[in-house]
Amino acid sequence: MNKSLAYITRRLGFYLIAAFAALTLNFIIPRLMPGDPASIIFARFKGKMNPEAINAMRQSFGLTNDPILIQYWSYLKGIFRGDLGTSIAYFPEPVSEIIGSGLLWTIFLAGLSLVVAFSIGTTLGVFIAWNRTGKLDTFLPPTLAFFGALPYFWLAMVFLYIFGFSMNWFPIGRAFGNQVTPGLNFPFLLSVLYHAILPAFTLIFVSIGGWMLSMRNTMISTLGADYITFANAKGLPSRLIMLRYAARNAILPNLTGFGMALGFVLSGALLTEMIFSYPGQGFLLLQAVQSQDFPLMQGIFMTITFAVLGANWLVDIAILFFDPRTRK
Amino acid sequence: MTKPLISVENLSVEYITDTSPVKAVRDVTFEIFHGEIFGLVGESGSGKSTVVQAMMRILPPPAYISGGKVFINNEDIMEASKSDIIGFRWKKISIVMQSALNALNPVLSVREQIHDVLDTHKGLNGKEADDRAKELLSLVDINYDRLESYPHQLSGGMKQRIVIAIALAIMPPIIIMDEPTTALDVIVEREIIAKIIELRKELGITILFITHDLNLLMEFADRLAIMKNGEIVELDKVKDIQKGGKHSYTKKLIGSIPSASGKRQKGLLSRPDSLNLSKSPILEVHNLEKVFQSPGIFNKNKIIAVNNVSFKIFKGEIVALVGESGSGKSTIAKLITRMIRPSAGSIYLDGKNKKVTESRSVPLEYRKTVQMVFQDPFGSLNSIHTVYHHLARPLLRHGLKEQEKILSHIIHLLEKVGLNPGEKFADKFPHEMSGGERQRVAIARALSLKPQIIVADEPTSMLDVSIRMDVLEIFAKMRKENNLTVLFITHDLASARYLADRIIVLKNGSIIEENTSEDLIQNPREKYTKQLVHAASPGWLNSLSKNS
Amino acid sequence: MNKTTYQNSILSRWFIGIMSNQKAFTGSCVILIFALIAIFLPFFIQSPTDFLGTPLSPPSLEYIFGTNGQGQDVFAQTICGARQTLLVGFGAGILVVIIGALIGGIAGFYGGRTDDILSLLINIFLVMPGLPLMVILASYLPPTPGTLLGVLVFTGWAWNARVIRSQMMTFRNRDFVSAAIISGESNIRIIIVEIMPRMLSLLASSFIGASIYAIGAQVGLEFLGLGDVSTVTWGTNLYWASNDLALLTESWWTFIPTGLSIAMVSFALTLINFGIDEVSNPRLISERLWRNEIPEDMLNQGITPVFNPHD
Repeated sequence: MNKSLAYITRRLGFYLIAAFAALTLNFIIPRLMPGDPASIIFARFKGKMNPEAINAMRQSFGLTNDPILIQYWSYLKGIFRGDLGTSIAYFPEPVSEIIGSGLLWTIFLAGLSLVVAFSIGTTLGVFIAWNRTGKLDTFLPPTLAFFGALPYFWLAMVFLYIFGFSMNWFPIGRAFGNQVTPGLNFPFLLSVLYHAILPAFTLIFVSIGGWMLSMRNTMISTLGADYITFANAKGLPSRLIMLRYAARNAILPNLTGFGMALGFVLSGALLTEMIFSYPGQGFLLLQAVQSQDFPLMQGIFMTITFAVLGANWLVDIAILFFDPRTRK
Repeated sequence: MTKPLISVENLSVEYITDTSPVKAVRDVTFEIFHGEIFGLVGESGSGKSTVVQAMMRILPPPAYISGGKVFINNEDIMEASKSDIIGFRWKKISIVMQSALNALNPVLSVREQIHDVLDTHKGLNGKEADDRAKELLSLVDINYDRLESYPHQLSGGMKQRIVIAIALAIMPPIIIMDEPTTALDVIVEREIIAKIIELRKELGITILFITHDLNLLMEFADRLAIMKNGEIVELDKVKDIQKGGKHSYTKKLIGSIPSASGKRQKGLLSRPDSLNLSKSPILEVHNLEKVFQSPGIFNKNKIIAVNNVSFKIFKGEIVALVGESGSGKSTIAKLITRMIRPSAGSIYLDGKNKKVTESRSVPLEYRKTVQMVFQDPFGSLNSIHTVYHHLARPLLRHGLKEQEKILSHIIHLLEKVGLNPGEKFADKFPHEMSGGERQRVAIARALSLKPQIIVADEPTSMLDVSIRMDVLEIFAKMRKENNLTVLFITHDLASARYLADRIIVLKNGSIIEENTSEDLIQNPREKYTKQLVHAASPGWLNSLSKNS
Repeated sequence: MNKTTYQNSILSRWFIGIMSNQKAFTGSCVILIFALIAIFLPFFIQSPTDFLGTPLSPPSLEYIFGTNGQGQDVFAQTICGARQTLLVGFGAGILVVIIGALIGGIAGFYGGRTDDILSLLINIFLVMPGLPLMVILASYLPPTPGTLLGVLVFTGWAWNARVIRSQMMTFRNRDFVSAAIISGESNIRIIIVEIMPRMLSLLASSFIGASIYAIGAQVGLEFLGLGDVSTVTWGTNLYWASNDLALLTESWWTFIPTGLSIAMVSFALTLINFGIDEVSNPRLISERLWRNEIPEDMLNQGITPVFNPHD
């Protein structure tokens, strides 16, 4: 079997196992909690619904009295059909429909911020390590590290306060304005961009330091390698060495780390959405918590997990193109 | 008198540290003339690589040039502007770096790396560049279908040749070769050097060749300089140095290199007058096999490291296991010391037909019987512990408890391996000692339990040439005085000849030949053994050029 | 030299080495100050839960940080909130390192099948997104500090396990470990006496990294309302600030002090990690020395400078 194919398949296999583990975790957690899971879920309905209705709800949530393995099996079948259960807050709407719309907005916001932060951060890291001059390197890393130490949602509050409420430069919430109609029209797209600026800026602000620092560190180790000295000796132009010889090697460990950082960055995106009432998974999660809508919470967990696993797999494939050692 | 191609005058180089700067090169002066092969010899830390990298001003931080001039074609590099320097790099002088293993960019193909050079200096692109690349590769006997390969797909010898091809790309008048063959197997090394000399004849280039191997250089260099501690201690024509050399260090270097041909020099290493060996072997290895699987749950790749190996060792014998990298010799060492388990076959200790490979856990008794000395003196001692700790732990582990007894035992051991006074060394940390001293401590540690067998895995290959024989002498002495059995693992046939009674030659996991040392050296039977013996003997260059 | 004083000296030598680094020292001082404030100051100021002044009044001489939406003293809230947040944060940090060292250490040292299984476990936990999982767990469980601690450790142990595992594997392959095995040392002894002391810096920076994560994640969960909202912690301060419409009413003083405190603690911890990194990675130090000593116009990438320091 060709080495690249074997590698991709191996990684896919791992992600399938991880997805499976997440599914199982999702199944077990409610059933592991002290007390009857149904009572916890239906606590808010006590006194408002009669026992028969509660029982019916119970059935529809898969909390039957069947042996656990049967419950597990029907649960898995449900997932493969795309059935993530029924929401409590929005009963009887299925969770998958509620999540559907939000997913795109989260991917848009998080994806946009990730790409910008990674690109700018990595580029900065390359230049700082390359120039080896004192000034930029003594002051930029600690400053960006300080920004990175700020909690996402707190910074979101600060920015929202300053730029939104106080100075009114940017909208204070939502993904697009009331006046525009959703669709592939220019006013809509412009509004979307306008509303995305502040939340994206928050995310970028906090995360850029991390990318810059790790690229800087890998660059510094790479610059100590023999092939860089050799490249210098060959009289190759400075820029060529910096990019083709140093950066192209230094970026590899960062790409591997990219996948792992995804989960992390996504968490930050979720919290930021909450502040900006951005209609993504994060905002949904907030509402789910506030209304104790467990099925919705669990549904969000599943979709985000699948998204992260999928993205990780895509990054692994990308690495195939960047690092010839994985290929043959 | 012809003008020199390169003139180095009072060159000095320093390194910045957190204390005061370290002087790596002090006031070095020499000249290189057109068309000659000039050798620079020195041990690790002598400054030889630093000198040549300073000559091209490619020394990485934290080094800086603190004085001197270097004239290349009458231009002083120390005064040149940035663009001038980049201008003459590769066009006037190129370099083949030490361990080409890391000189090639891992993510670019060979074609891309050659193209970079051709494009930068000659503006060649596309097809023209490809043609030139093919020409260069054929100069070093590499097939052009290797253009698409990436460094990790090439063997060490191939990579070295490609780096040489790249160095030749713009045909500079002088090429620096910094230990170009040190990391290669001895046979490959000789072939590459023969190739270099052939190229010199064909293309008329001047070569500055750096190595720690004085013997090697004396075979083909015209003039050479010997460096020690950043200074040149000897500088002369090779013919004159062969007669003896003026400096004491030169004499020491020449005297400490054993030869793998001619009669065995007397007095180089202790030997008992006669060997009285018992009938039954102390260690017997039977059909030993070890197969390695690549790590990871889904991986299927296998490597056969040791393939059906059988041999015997008798008490009081020193047997050498000679082979190149990949021959399986280190794996056999790990099998015998039971650090790993064999895939098949058995090991018998002490002839009692006691099969020692059965149980998973290794009995303490075995640990007392078989000990090991490792190759890297820096890695085999734990930097946070003192010599005392390293030597006391085995004793404590095996039952010796009284503090005073332990201390005196340790001091005795240290003095036995040549570290006097013992008390002073007992409190030292590894970084406070030289490589040779550390290796002696490692040997003392191995000897502390009074083992029957010591497996020595390349014990001197990372030590300075001038002290190698002294260290091997410790083993010879222990055998002579205490009847210690030694399994000496090495790639160096010459030192095997001097230390061992018998030599076993390994290649690709199998035994090729086995004989007493002298018989093997004088009358090698197999082709591979003959190649090894030739490569280790003076005059190998002539025999190689005759054959090509 | 007897054994305990010898081992203590390894520890103290390491500690002194770290503390002599400027960044690590500064960071540690800041943390120490916060810790002292968190432990002792609450005894000297008024209770943060008393409803005292007019709600949402800006900072004044009476209340230096103003009052929040319930009329409580924001200054008192900020000071008292430190205790639980820091306790749970550092507590989670320690637990994460212990678990990481156990699992990562065993996987790295023993290798083979054990490593395959444990690595799989580590990678699965590593790749699952933490926040949604934490939210679910915290929602089902009663809102106590114990829950927070458990949830943080459950989702956070994998990162450190992975890092420790790879360091352990590097050491495992070193000759001095092989030599110890060949002398007959037991595995446990080798791990504790020979390898662990060499991993002090890694363990310390793992602890710090884990604490940074734990403090941030804890605050995030409490902000969502998943902690006990009747207690005073930094997270619940922010929860209430948001609930009481701090932004809409432009009452910046209700959330700025707490947020800045969190940021300062996280930053101080990051500084310590920078310091530890510099001490254990000599290349970074020589980089810095290099930049300081050589005159700027000679700092050309790729050309060795010609420079006489004795001029």
